[in-house]
Amino acid sequence: MAKKSKRGTLVETAVLAPLDWVDERTAAVRGTKWFLFRNVPRDISWAQTLGSATLTAFIVQTLTGVILAMYYEPSSSINPTTGKPVAYSSIEAITNDLTLGWLVRGMHRWGASVFIILLFLHMGRVFLFGAYKYPRELTWITGVFILVTGMLLGFTGYLLPWDQTAYWATVVGINLNGTAPFLGPWLAQFLATGPEIGSETLAKWYSLHMLVLPGAIIGLIGVHIYLVTRLGVVSPPWSGERAGRERAEAAPTGARAGLVRGGTSGGGK
Amino acid sequence: MARDLGELNREDFARYKDDVKKEGKSFFPRALFHDTVMSLVVVCVIVALAAIWYFDADGVKSGILGPWYTEPADPATTSFVPRPDWYFYFLFYLLRIFKWPETVFIATVGIPTIALILLIGLPFYDRRRERRPSRRPVAMVAAVLTVLSMAVLTWKGATAKEALGSELVAFVPEWAQEQGFADDPQAVKGAELFAQSGCLNCHTYLGQGAGNLGAPDLSSIGQTNEATYFVRYLTNPAAFGNTVMGSYAYLGQENLDALGAFLAASKGG
Repeated sequence: MAKKSKRGTLVETAVLAPLDWVDERTAAVRGTKWFLFRNVPRDISWAQTLGSATLTAFIVQTLTGVILAMYYEPSSSINPTTGKPVAYSSIEAITNDLTLGWLVRGMHRWGASVFIILLFLHMGRVFLFGAYKYPRELTWITGVFILVTGMLLGFTGYLLPWDQTAYWATVVGINLNGTAPFLGPWLAQFLATGPEIGSETLAKWYSLHMLVLPGAIIGLIGVHIYLVTRLGVVSPPWSGERAGRERAEAAPTGARAGLVRGGTSGGGK
Repeated sequence: MARDLGELNREDFARYKDDVKKEGKSFFPRALFHDTVMSLVVVCVIVALAAIWYFDADGVKSGILGPWYTEPADPATTSFVPRPDWYFYFLFYLLRIFKWPETVFIATVGIPTIALILLIGLPFYDRRRERRPSRRPVAMVAAVLTVLSMAVLTWKGATAKEALGSELVAFVPEWAQEQGFADDPQAVKGAELFAQSGCLNCHTYLGQGAGNLGAPDLSSIGQTNEATYFVRYLTNPAAFGNTVMGSYAYLGQENLDALGAFLAASKGG
């Protein structure tokens, strides 16, 4: 009995010691517990899953994007074997030859649309619930920046297949930037990288699409989730048991005194 | 008596935290369960879209969700109608509303910038504590109007049809009569090229054309310069400081001369 208990203690120590060691230095275990074992209002339900659903769509984009980056070649020069641009040929190869390449590319392509739709739905839910109000203003603002960065990711990714649709949409897009006052022509010049849209443009957009913008959006999502965890999610505002509801704080005096239920605010009802 | 807003807000939030602590449910596993189910639905939808897209299309042949890719990018094409991804359709359509060169920046920069500022500033100009939609009529009406206008613009952008070169050629005799170049076969040939080569995807001419990208109206361009100037301009717009317009040198000298004659003859009727 005592022997077994001793072994149990040893095993427990062997498992927990490294965790304690890490936690002592990083607070990672405490942080995970803080994230997982927090309370949320009891009346939240499906409407509040849109945020995590958006995150899931983003994770799909990340994973499929990493795989695509292994096979995609951002060059507009002509591939001598196929007689087509290198970028276009690599997209053809991913779609037609690579095992399940069509699925990876299809998921990345359609995942982008799903991601944008979910961003808008999530934003609509937050607006409807008035969840952008005190103290969650910065959560809202980081969310707006996530939306903008997400749309920029869509805009830069659209060029990469280097087909007619991609090319001409991008020509228009770059020219739209060029119409802005003051900075416009400079911005258009930067995006196009020279008088014509070619290999240098493609390389620049590829870099923006898979280094700069993902870095930015991952940072924003991190701050966003930290704020959501720290400040909590709101109850549906019409819910009778919403967290933070106002109660009759003091019992009225006079004739109605006896009609009000006794009890303190924050009772377990 | 009236307490300030910050104080009331902090009281609300303290009560919220108290309620969540006492009445709330644990994020793990109860709320996370909903999130997980929703995330699985999201992944399934993305896979389904990818599968429908792939199995219904074949190469450049479009299925219900579009082709795998269109033809390789070709800067020399003039008949391709540019089209962005669906979530930029609203911007695409705004451009057709503000299509004159002096107003195009309203659509490309003005309205998006104002929309972004309104979105970021929302928690600061909507400072009321009220979260219930039924008590926020202004916010709800504004939201409905925003959603409706975005939906209408997206729909109009999706169904907008650019005039085809073949339809525009029908206007050539009318132009020739109005501008008085009907007896100049070279100018008439230039007018036909002008209609067919996609010039009107950006420029306007005697009420025709899209007016995109801030491209100027060419109805009276002949007053400014002579044919040889236009030929040089068309050969290399970048040399004249125009980085928006591409080169039309591939049309060949004979065609460029015709276009030059046509433009020089366009003196505004």
